[in-house]
Amino acid sequence: QCPHKWKRVKCVHCNSKNHSRDRCPSIWRSYYLLDSNVRRVLPVHKIFCYNCGGKGHFGDDCWEYRSSRVPNEDGSAFSGENLPQELK
Amino acid sequence: TLNTDYPWILNHDHSKQREIADWLTLEIKDFVAYISPSQEEIRVRNSTISKIRNAVKDLWPDADLHVFGSFATDLYLPGSDIDCVINSSSGDKENRNCLYSLASFLKRRKLATQVEVISKARVPIIKFVEPISQIHIDISFERVNGLEAARVIRGWLKETPGLRELVLIVKQFLAARRLNMVHTGGLGGFSIICLVYAFLQLHPRVISSDIDSMENLGILLIDFFELYGKNFGYDHVAISVTDSGARYLSKELYGSLQNPRTSFALAIQDPGDKDNNISRGSFNIRDIKKAFAGAFDLLTNRCFELDAATFKDRVGKSILGNVIKYRGKQR
Repeated sequence: QCPHKWKRVKCVHCNSKNHSRDRCPSIWRSYYLLDSNVRRVLPVHKIFCYNCGGKGHFGDDCWEYRSSRVPNEDGSAFSGENLPQELK
Repeated sequence: TLNTDYPWILNHDHSKQREIADWLTLEIKDFVAYISPSQEEIRVRNSTISKIRNAVKDLWPDADLHVFGSFATDLYLPGSDIDCVINSSSGDKENRNCLYSLASFLKRRKLATQVEVISKARVPIIKFVEPISQIHIDISFERVNGLEAARVIRGWLKETPGLRELVLIVKQFLAARRLNMVHTGGLGGFSIICLVYAFLQLHPRVISSDIDSMENLGILLIDFFELYGKNFGYDHVAISVTDSGARYLSKELYGSLQNPRTSFALAIQDPGDKDNNISRGSFNIRDIKKAFAGAFDLLTNRCFELDAATFKDRVGKSILGNVIKYRGKQR
């Protein structure tokens, strides 16, 4: 049996159960944004998937079986979540 | 105590930055400024090339010498060689006799030492060292694709902020790990540029005009290592780059880009030939992917560590120094 007791972690920053607060990706995943008064349009024709090569969605949001064997628990930059608020 | 492993941070302390990503952005700018060629180096390189060009014109009045590769795009690291091509109106300079007569002509004029003539390769070249500047020079003959590629890259550099900075960092990162030489399966300069260009062209925050890349180099570098180190589907996805931008292709639909020996291979479609994979020589993609993933882990761990540290402990620290060692002098 595993000598290390299972310890539940929870991040008080983002409510994720994958990491503790001191290892929250939000510590480094911060963008310096341009003026938010400019209206943004979503260029759907520029969205491609790193996982299947398909069009119209980002790799994190792909329905296909994951191609890379490295896990992606907390999500990456290439996710619909990483769009400006009004475009999500 | 001064740290000689990352000299670019001397007198450039950013430890008081509130956001750790901003600190990294500023450090990337310092590093790029530190390894960018000095005015003196540019002058020496230009005068070396014009001496050789003049000699070529003396020998062959119908020929001219052009530079391509990293020299033509200003993306060269210290000590990198200069790629040149000789094109002529008669188009006959690629035969063995011409290669040897140029080689001995340059030797006689004291413009070349350590001359090697490689006439039997797919791309015949002369390699030599110019004795005064000690610069290594490769000359190939009668081809235009290198010049065309340099023109395309200069266009990308002009319209893609951050491309130059990220390419120089990734180049130095791979060079330090000897993963940048194509003959040992590493990533060549053009492939590196394509990877960074496609990354920027497809990044959610960039395509939605939400950020200025130059003010976000830190997080973009982390995102780059994350994409190609952890997430990119090398087995199924090919990268396509053109004058107008970048896109992904499904390898299943472009079978000619697929490596016949393994599905786990980087595929970058040649803009000039849709069936040609520019990066087919980079067979060591497994180690390259691992190195990128390692860089992601090192960078993000360093961010966590420094974010938790007191301001006193942060002074004089480097984030990038965990990933890039560069002991060379400022250029």
